[in-house]
Amino acid sequence: MKLTGELDLNSPVSSHSVALNLRKGERLDVLFRGSALFSALLVFVIIVAIVVSLVIGAWPALQKFGFGFLTSSQWNPVTQQFGALVAIFGTLVTSAIALLIAIPVSFGIALFITQLAPTWLKHPVGVAVELLAAIPSIIYGMWGLFVFVPLFADYAQPWITDHLGDWPVLGMLFQGPPMGIGMFTAGLILAIMILPFIAAIMRDVFEVVPVTLKESAYALGATTWEVTWHIVLPYTRVGVAGGIMLGLGRALGETMAVTFVIGNAHKISGSLFMPGSTISSTLANEFTEAVEKLYSSSLIALGLILFLITFVILALAKLMLMHLAAREGTRS
Amino acid sequence: MNLYRRRLFINYFNLTVSTLMTVFGLFWLVWLLWTLLSNGLQWISLDVFTQITPPPGSTGGLANAIVGSLLMTAMGVAMGAPIGVLAGTYLNEFGRASFFAPVVRFVNDILLSAPSIIIGIFIYEVMVVSMGHFSGWAGAAALALIVIPVVVRTTEDMLRMVPNSLREAAAALGAPQWKIVTHIVYRAAKTGIITGIMLGVARVSGETAPLLFTALNNQFWSLSLDQPIANLPVVIFQFAMSPYDDWQHLAWAGALLITFSILCLNILARVFLRTRKPGH
Amino acid sequence: MNRDSIDMLNDSTFVENAMVNEHDSSAHTATVRNFQSPKLRVENLDFHYGKFQALHGISMDIPEKKVTAFIGPSGCGKSTLLRIFNRIYELYPDQRSSGRVLLDGDNILSRDQDLNRLRAKVGMVFQKPTPFPMSVYDNIAFGLRLYERLSRTRMNDRVEWALKKAALWDEVKDKLHQIGTQLSGGQQQRLCIARGIAVKPEVLLFDEPASELDPISTLKIEELVSELKDDYTIVIVTHNMQQAARVSDYTALMYLGKLVEYSDTNTLFTNPGKKQTEDYITGRYG
Repeated sequence: MKLTGELDLNSPVSSHSVALNLRKGERLDVLFRGSALFSALLVFVIIVAIVVSLVIGAWPALQKFGFGFLTSSQWNPVTQQFGALVAIFGTLVTSAIALLIAIPVSFGIALFITQLAPTWLKHPVGVAVELLAAIPSIIYGMWGLFVFVPLFADYAQPWITDHLGDWPVLGMLFQGPPMGIGMFTAGLILAIMILPFIAAIMRDVFEVVPVTLKESAYALGATTWEVTWHIVLPYTRVGVAGGIMLGLGRALGETMAVTFVIGNAHKISGSLFMPGSTISSTLANEFTEAVEKLYSSSLIALGLILFLITFVILALAKLMLMHLAAREGTRS
Repeated sequence: MNLYRRRLFINYFNLTVSTLMTVFGLFWLVWLLWTLLSNGLQWISLDVFTQITPPPGSTGGLANAIVGSLLMTAMGVAMGAPIGVLAGTYLNEFGRASFFAPVVRFVNDILLSAPSIIIGIFIYEVMVVSMGHFSGWAGAAALALIVIPVVVRTTEDMLRMVPNSLREAAAALGAPQWKIVTHIVYRAAKTGIITGIMLGVARVSGETAPLLFTALNNQFWSLSLDQPIANLPVVIFQFAMSPYDDWQHLAWAGALLITFSILCLNILARVFLRTRKPGH
Repeated sequence: MNRDSIDMLNDSTFVENAMVNEHDSSAHTATVRNFQSPKLRVENLDFHYGKFQALHGISMDIPEKKVTAFIGPSGCGKSTLLRIFNRIYELYPDQRSSGRVLLDGDNILSRDQDLNRLRAKVGMVFQKPTPFPMSVYDNIAFGLRLYERLSRTRMNDRVEWALKKAALWDEVKDKLHQIGTQLSGGQQQRLCIARGIAVKPEVLLFDEPASELDPISTLKIEELVSELKDDYTIVIVTHNMQQAARVSDYTALMYLGKLVEYSDTNTLFTNPGKKQTEDYITGRYG
């Protein structure tokens, strides 16, 4: 018939080769799909492997010291006595200082970008703040140690100690010789490093507040500040909290910058101007020197603790941001 | 109208503080960059790129560290980027309905923000210990682990922006799924995916902590990834902490080099993304 | 100039005065009503979104303690016009107006007009219910706290007064401390009305307040609007002609940023002065 003739003339593909092509396509489909699934599995396996290898590595130390590892402030490679308390304390204190400084600054930046800045300025300011996050940690460390610390020791620190050092209770935090290095400096530099992360998330969640909600507050005669504080912030509080947790996660694990400026002393002291150490700075300083089994195992145990803390914080942050995203979904 | 004046005052006060906070934030950026320029620019010379790291007291450059860094970054990205792209593809193209995709997405975000020093310890445990020595391969592997989550994240985001109608149109022609993804979806999301990889490169270029226990350092010229290999971040760390002036100068030069390369990569990635948007 | 003719016409109160606007060389002749003492007087108002001109030489008077409706096809500028009366458009840098809008004789478009005070006098209810992310009680108290320092009991009284005025009190008196977003859509919208009247404005602007609501809630809102006109000057934008016919005393038809016809609602719907108006209300376009 005419139809078959047409097929033969115009289609270079015979039904036989079509079937072959299809089968080949199927095989490649399975292959491609398989490698994608394999890669996704790999991501999952990596996390599991990290946890497992940390637990195995930390096992000797955990077995030797047990729960006391968490509560002991001993850290003595000579007597082979190890406890994590000093490093945990330093990690928490520096991160707390970082948050105290970074939260208001990030909020100010997010408010400026979303509500105040003229249109032409929004983007450049946003990018500039994000560039802060791109600068490598080690650069912050060098700048901190060689530029910031001397200035801080010469000018700011004596003044703070003179003026705040005499205050009851609070004054204790600001005593000590003006060395420049210490937990406060580490916390301040951490704050600069994490503020781009927090500011970026705050900016993003502020921008999802429905325009009509803001307009109706303005229509009542509320000022920009009142709209931000009473409407925008409550509306986005979950997302803001998520952003803060994300920043906290970064601060807890930050290594090089802290290692430069914290002073690396295995001692808990009440003053923020005294040297201390964090989990990550201890690891960076001592890991390659630790030859004894127990020593390196104790360091890995520190790493395990750090990983668990950041895991919990990041998981919480993620859940909060997901919660906000889900609410967005039902609204629009 | 006392209350009203108070409200206006609070408003102006807080908005001024907010502006000052922004200035405060940007102030550090300017100060940091100024520090790098004023301390580093004077030590940048041809020697930095042609000489190898010197013993204290003599002159030299950073050639071996630069090459080592480039080599490890290249290997790390070569290993990490394909895995990242494929995993991101799984999340957006194949895993939409599966329970596994949210788990991977969650884990990936954890990995994205996990302390990089932990990655260093992990690779030390599984590679350095079993091989018996530090090596460039271990360093590259650590960098790959940092690249993967960045690329997964951006790939998924970029693929999600590709409209479904494109996939449907291709499927309606009878194209198999691998062809739809590789020929249509990847092509539509190409710039985005490349941007993601660039950001991954920028992220690992300055990483120091994971290299301390993996690649370590090497003061000689060596291109072998089987051996400890010199790299910029660790050299900068070591030289900056040293008491020798020559070394410190080289550290500043290296710091300037590394920061500006990373900033350029970042800005380039952004420009890349923005130029694409109008066509989208 | 046009001003003179308006002044002249003012003498004859409430008389139908078809007068020709100065911009009207083209098709947009407007019938402008003139009142002895209009609450709002719009004079030669232009409005731009960036380069796009959304309003062309609008002039009209809006009477006190009446309901005035703006109707017209979507994109005709009716919401734009409404959003000028409290200058909410100022939130967006590329939007600007020129001309004059007099509220009790004062030009609210002048540079030194205090926006917060203007908005205290001119309240607004939006298309979508916008309860703030706080309790029902605080939704009302939020606005009050902006302008008055009230004791706890006085505050309670005012919240109750506003909720009663908005015909919502009976439904929410037991859930004052629940979050506002948990109310039904119609209740949320009445909460927003209560929030608007709590601060005792003089003018209330409604921007399609019932377009997202079911018929029963819509009816309640319409009843409420009719009741509120005893105390407030009301301007309502609606795309629903029946609604305009039901609730308003005066109606303005707009088309392509121009005022086509403006007269009392009855006349406009039963005996329109223009062919264009007749076409619109009989559904021939829009």
